[in-house]
Amino acid sequence: MALETCFNPIELSALSEKVKARKAEGWRFVQLLAVNTDEGIDLIYSFMKDNVLENDEVKGLTNTDIVPSITDEYLEAFVFENEVHDLFDIQIKGIAIDFGGHFYKLHEKAPMTVISPEQKAAKEKAAKIAAAKKAKEAKEKAAGDAGAADEGAHGKADAQGESGAKAEAEDKQDDLEAKLAGMDPEKAAKVRAAMEARAKKAKGE
Amino acid sequence: MGKASVIPFGPQHPVLPEPLHLDLVVEDEVVIEAVPQIGFVHRGLEKLVETRDYNQFIYVAERICGICAMGHSLGYAETVERLMGVEVPKRAEYLRCIWHELSRVHSHLLWLGLAADAFGFESLFMHCWRLRERVLDIFEKTTGGRVILSVVKVGGVVRDIDRSMFDEIITTLDGVAEEYKAILKTLLNDTSIKNRTVGVGYISHDEAVNLSMVGPFARASAVPYDVRSFGLGAYGDLSDFQPITDTAGDCYARMKVRCYELLQSIDLIKEFIAKIPDGDIDVTVKGNPADGAEACNVLEQPRGECYYYARGNGTKNLARMRMRTPTSQNLAGMVHALKGCDLADVNMIILTVDPCISCTER
Repeated sequence: MALETCFNPIELSALSEKVKARKAEGWRFVQLLAVNTDEGIDLIYSFMKDNVLENDEVKGLTNTDIVPSITDEYLEAFVFENEVHDLFDIQIKGIAIDFGGHFYKLHEKAPMTVISPEQKAAKEKAAKIAAAKKAKEAKEKAAGDAGAADEGAHGKADAQGESGAKAEAEDKQDDLEAKLAGMDPEKAAKVRAAMEARAKKAKGE
Repeated sequence: MGKASVIPFGPQHPVLPEPLHLDLVVEDEVVIEAVPQIGFVHRGLEKLVETRDYNQFIYVAERICGICAMGHSLGYAETVERLMGVEVPKRAEYLRCIWHELSRVHSHLLWLGLAADAFGFESLFMHCWRLRERVLDIFEKTTGGRVILSVVKVGGVVRDIDRSMFDEIITTLDGVAEEYKAILKTLLNDTSIKNRTVGVGYISHDEAVNLSMVGPFARASAVPYDVRSFGLGAYGDLSDFQPITDTAGDCYARMKVRCYELLQSIDLIKEFIAKIPDGDIDVTVKGNPADGAEACNVLEQPRGECYYYARGNGTKNLARMRMRTPTSQNLAGMVHALKGCDLADVNMIILTVDPCISCTER
């Protein structure tokens, strides 16, 4: 009897009905968690029956959305609803035991929504690398199409070799740009300056 | 009917050296309502996942709690492995389960000692903790640590155990089991213990199901739920596994379930050792969890089911790591068990739930 897990997206308006249905069907409440994303806060309600663990996801909530409490159906959820309110500033209406924002003794409000500089830098770096990779792939595809058309029209080996070398040089430049985009800006500036100096030296300036 | 008054319990209390506060509303020394309060030592460990990569975070995960350290590192690693589609070598799965069951033995011995101390049976407390030391000695010999083991990694384990050490573990556990059985007679038959526990803090089967209780707390009310039954990892190779349950639903039943689970864990360890296959103990894990990928997992900790969730963001850091501990899940059940009890029984009820606030305040 292996554990089966799945994630089901649901709308906020359908949450109460869904939870009532789960209770009626004999699902056990497992937990509630929140995830901070660029599009808002995602709430994930987990339920288990036999060996099936299902997670209902309400996506993209803001602190102006009012989320209905599920403590009428599952009293044990009061711990998690208070936690989500304190750590993520999600407004939940009708919690059976409501601590009014004092469940955790916190230094700052909604600490889990604060994006750290490290996290921001890592995300930007990943986005730049992904964008550069995508651009490179698009360019390769375009070059491949053009090369095939060129070969069909002229069939000249020397011209093909020349365009191949040019494409290779462009590829190298793209790779380098992708690497620089992912680097610390100060370090990237130093690398660029060193490369320019080397290019000047090679030209004999 | 007397006048209702509120008696604060904790966060500093001799019976529970963890910061749990309860406002007990009492009338004529009978608790009519209990309002729990935690949050005194919330550490924000889940937030650290943003600044520690997924390999480093395993060391944070096992520091969530000193008693459940092995379980948390295992639960975290298994969740990240699910997230990244990593298949762990069979030998590593067995080694993980052996250490995890040893953790259960030491956790239950620790709890039994604390319970004995709470009802004033100090010699029993010393015997339980003396036996626990021998389990910690096994940890030290096999991992180098007694509390924080640091043997689990994403993709396997970092240390192997050789045959001579397995033989030593079996000899030690046989000795522990023999001495423990002598203690068990006292634990389960002593009149003073029965007076404090039988019929106290009753939770029926239906209440346990309705309140989604987990672990020995639920199993003592005849809820046969144990994550090990799913056969995850090496548990799938066991010849037979039946969760230990009781029908009484009181403090005594909860103690009894833990007492027998300890012996069951020793048997499981011996079966794992008999069946452990040869082979690698880890695989190399490359790359990062994909952006938006998510995975969840459950694990049977000594106190009950623990839920783990991870979401990737395309970088070496996870976007979110979540651990829902058994104590969070059992708080509603604990409050329910306290309603209608005598003020003098509050200690025993809380102890037999075995709350771990350290786990809860990640």
